[in-house]
Amino acid sequence: MAGTHILAEGAGNYLNFGIFHISVTNALIMGAMIVMFILAVVIPFPHHDADDEGSR
Amino acid sequence: MSAREDTAAEVVSPSRTSWTAWARYRITHTVPEGQWLPDRQPAYVASWIYVFGMATLVSLFIVIGSGVVLAIGGSEWWHTSNVGHYVNSVHLWSVEIFFAVMAIHLWGKFWMAAWRGGRALTWMTGMVALLAAVGTGFTGYLSQTNFDSQWIGAQAKDGLNSVGLGAWFNALNPAAALTLHIVVLPLAVGVIVIMHIILVRRHGVVPPIGAEEPTP
Repeated sequence: MAGTHILAEGAGNYLNFGIFHISVTNALIMGAMIVMFILAVVIPFPHHDADDEGSR
Repeated sequence: MSAREDTAAEVVSPSRTSWTAWARYRITHTVPEGQWLPDRQPAYVASWIYVFGMATLVSLFIVIGSGVVLAIGGSEWWHTSNVGHYVNSVHLWSVEIFFAVMAIHLWGKFWMAAWRGGRALTWMTGMVALLAAVGTGFTGYLSQTNFDSQWIGAQAKDGLNSVGLGAWFNALNPAAALTLHIVVLPLAVGVIVIMHIILVRRHGVVPPIGAEEPTP
């Protein structure tokens, strides 16, 4: 048991919220994905004025 | 008249005697010419959120390409070769990007209710593709040939046994995990993704809510 405990140490930093247990790395990646989603919705898509005609 | 109706009107009904005529009719009727690889899209497609479907597809190509190279080198190649280690890293990170952009693609399509306008099958094939990709990812964890895969295999074995699936799949059998990972599940993902893309091209990109064409 003590050996297992030693192996677990240094395996990364974790966040604990009640029953939720998540590594800082995974939390940061999920946060970055949410930020990327919001930016994809908010940031205007570049386009050329010449393409503004018709169905474009 | 839309391009699809125009093309469909030109196609003669399939011959009962020729399988080539039947196949040509089915292919042309499923996605008419002009809807494959279109060079123009509706104005609402000019948004970054519409980029993530193609980003998912591109990362899937890199996943498959790097996976093919790893398959040639063998499952333990990356432990002893710098080139193998590099290819393994390309495989890992392209998978990470694949799942990240696929999740953002899913969020975007969920919030724009992309199943509208007869696109329910497009939505469902996307969800099945996600599930198949998760299974492929899990068996990839089991195919690393290191202590991580051994640990994950032991945990997965207990989890699968607890829900009664242990009789069908033993997570501690690396040969089964590897063959599922490189043959069965990629084939499933590939077929479902092709179906998904055919449906996207057949029905077109979903318009924003409130911008649908009025039904006749």
